Amino acid sequence: MRFNRRILNAGLAASLAAPMISRVARAADTLKIGMVLPVTGPAAAVGGYALAGAKIALDRVNKSGGVLGKQLELVTEDDQTTNPGAVLAFSKLAAQPDIIAFLGPVRSTQNHAIANDVLKTAKPFCFGGTDPALTKMGNPWFIRFRPNDTYSARVIASYGVETLGKKNWGLVHSTDAFGASGGKLLAAAIDKLGAKVAIDQGYPNQSPDFTPVVLAIKSSGADVIGSYFTYENDQAIFARQAKQLGLTIPWVGSPTTVAAATLKLAGPAVWGTYAIADYATDSSPEAKEFAKLYSAVSSAPPDLQSAWPYDAIGVLSIAINKVGSTDPGKIRDAMLSIKGYKGAEGEYTFDQFGDGLHGYNIVRNENGTIVFDKHIEFTD
Amino acid sequence: MDLFLQLLFTGVGIGAVYALVALGFVLIFRATSVVNFAQGDFSMVAAYLMVVFAVDLGWPYWVAFLISIAGMAVLGAVFNLTVYYPLRHRTFLPVLISTIGASIFLANSVLALYGPQPQVLPGWLDTPGFQVGPVYLDSQYLIIICVTLALVAFQYWLFERTLIGKKLQATSQDKEMATLLGIPVAGMIMLTFVYSAVLGGIAGILVAPILFVSIQMGSTIALKAFAATIIGGFGDVAGAILGGFAIGIIETFGAAYISVPFKDAFAFLVVILFLIVRPQGIFGERVAEKA
Repeated sequence: MRFNRRILNAGLAASLAAPMISRVARAADTLKIGMVLPVTGPAAAVGGYALAGAKIALDRVNKSGGVLGKQLELVTEDDQTTNPGAVLAFSKLAAQPDIIAFLGPVRSTQNHAIANDVLKTAKPFCFGGTDPALTKMGNPWFIRFRPNDTYSARVIASYGVETLGKKNWGLVHSTDAFGASGGKLLAAAIDKLGAKVAIDQGYPNQSPDFTPVVLAIKSSGADVIGSYFTYENDQAIFARQAKQLGLTIPWVGSPTTVAAATLKLAGPAVWGTYAIADYATDSSPEAKEFAKLYSAVSSAPPDLQSAWPYDAIGVLSIAINKVGSTDPGKIRDAMLSIKGYKGAEGEYTFDQFGDGLHGYNIVRNENGTIVFDKHIEFTD
Repeated sequence: MDLFLQLLFTGVGIGAVYALVALGFVLIFRATSVVNFAQGDFSMVAAYLMVVFAVDLGWPYWVAFLISIAGMAVLGAVFNLTVYYPLRHRTFLPVLISTIGASIFLANSVLALYGPQPQVLPGWLDTPGFQVGPVYLDSQYLIIICVTLALVAFQYWLFERTLIGKKLQATSQDKEMATLLGIPVAGMIMLTFVYSAVLGGIAGILVAPILFVSIQMGSTIALKAFAATIIGGFGDVAGAILGGFAIGIIETFGAAYISVPFKDAFAFLVVILFLIVRPQGIFGERVAEKA
């Protein structure tokens, strides 16, 4: 009886310990990357796109032998599309010592919120927010995988003034970090090109109605719209009301203008618009290849939301393999030394601040199809 | 003048939506003395039901509407039985927290079942709107205004001209006295939750073609509707309607003539002013009489 109980106890202990041992063994075989993304809240849809992009990259890296002979593993946390949510999500990931690097939010305001925690954690933090200040705050761990808004504003202004020949701008932008910064930079870029801002309209996010904004632009005499919308539903509501109220002047917008969610919600209301896009399928063979991979896992068209995490994991894996260790400082240095990495979003050459991309594509919406026009790259 | 008329139409249209949701707040508050923080989620759930029936399954719009509203009536009853009824003898705070929990549950349930992608619900009419002189009348806003006015008239008839309306009023004014008079108080409260869920659902279905269908659409409307109930006087039906229209018009005109970034602030500035100067709201006297 005693013998049987001993065997039973040993068996029970073994069965309880087995999954744990298996997990430890699996953890030792993988390198973990933490990812903060919106699973709930207004940006939950784009969080799904970002996760799909990251998983495609992960799959690709793992199939080609992984990193340092180990498989990459993604650990995700929901930022709830809020700043407190982003702080909480990052702190949960930062508490896991075996995570070697992070993918952060695409929204600048959330990246600002977690900047101090990133500094304390002292590990490479790849992100998609485009507020230029994010890589100029003295935080060495911030590494950006999208062109910042100094480029976006210059490209919007340049295309509107020099290509479309428009001199009188109506600006629409959100009042959060992304929109306020974008609007300010766009106004400066327009001024530099000798054109003028007829009206500057900031709006609070998640607005149910844009009638006052549309009517103000219409009566301002503006001959072109420049925009920085944070959320796709806001952009879609504005687009539809602009069309209904007869605001038909050309429109050159930020990447939200051609985001998959905007195209779905706004439909014909955004046909004929121009936009800057860090991702454009026809801009390079790498972008085309990403589109092919993405279409196999998602019915939505690929856009920046899925492209930048895909590129970030690609760059991270190259950098880790290059240094041959998971030392955070060495990985960061290796990432910043990368020149001419051809990603889905463009060619990455990192500067000392951590900005990898230095130009934008211009695309136009032709009856719902996004057509690549040209790429404008800056060297200064 | 053209600008004024266009803004007035938009303000009244968006205000009508706030009024409908505010009405739901008020009815439940009158019956239970508790603010139902899931009222906005009723709108969201109904809009998703419409997407399922009218868009995904392709059923005729009116059929989809009636089934969605029937679904909301069931949700209102279940909400009463699970969120309010077990806590009915407790103070207002546990019930209030229970409604917040229900709000989170509803939002996350829809997210888990339907996914995070915002959806498009077509408008009720094929024509997006009409140009009348200098003013563009969005057909969906026209429908919202008409339905709101019709529901206000229905509500007046229900409460003032029917026996069941009198019973509902008696229950909201004094539950103990209503019980002594033989009124089935629990049944009346159940009916109130069902009616409030239906009202919230109608608001959600009406506004969905304008705001799109998303998990957050309920909270966007509910916050302003809550402000409307404070302006109108918490617990007063006419006040909720007036407050809803007031918020819609104030935020639209404030954005147009003063500042767009402070659009939301204007509405809440008025709320703060009311809380300081007239905390009982516009129709506060009736509440005082009731007390």
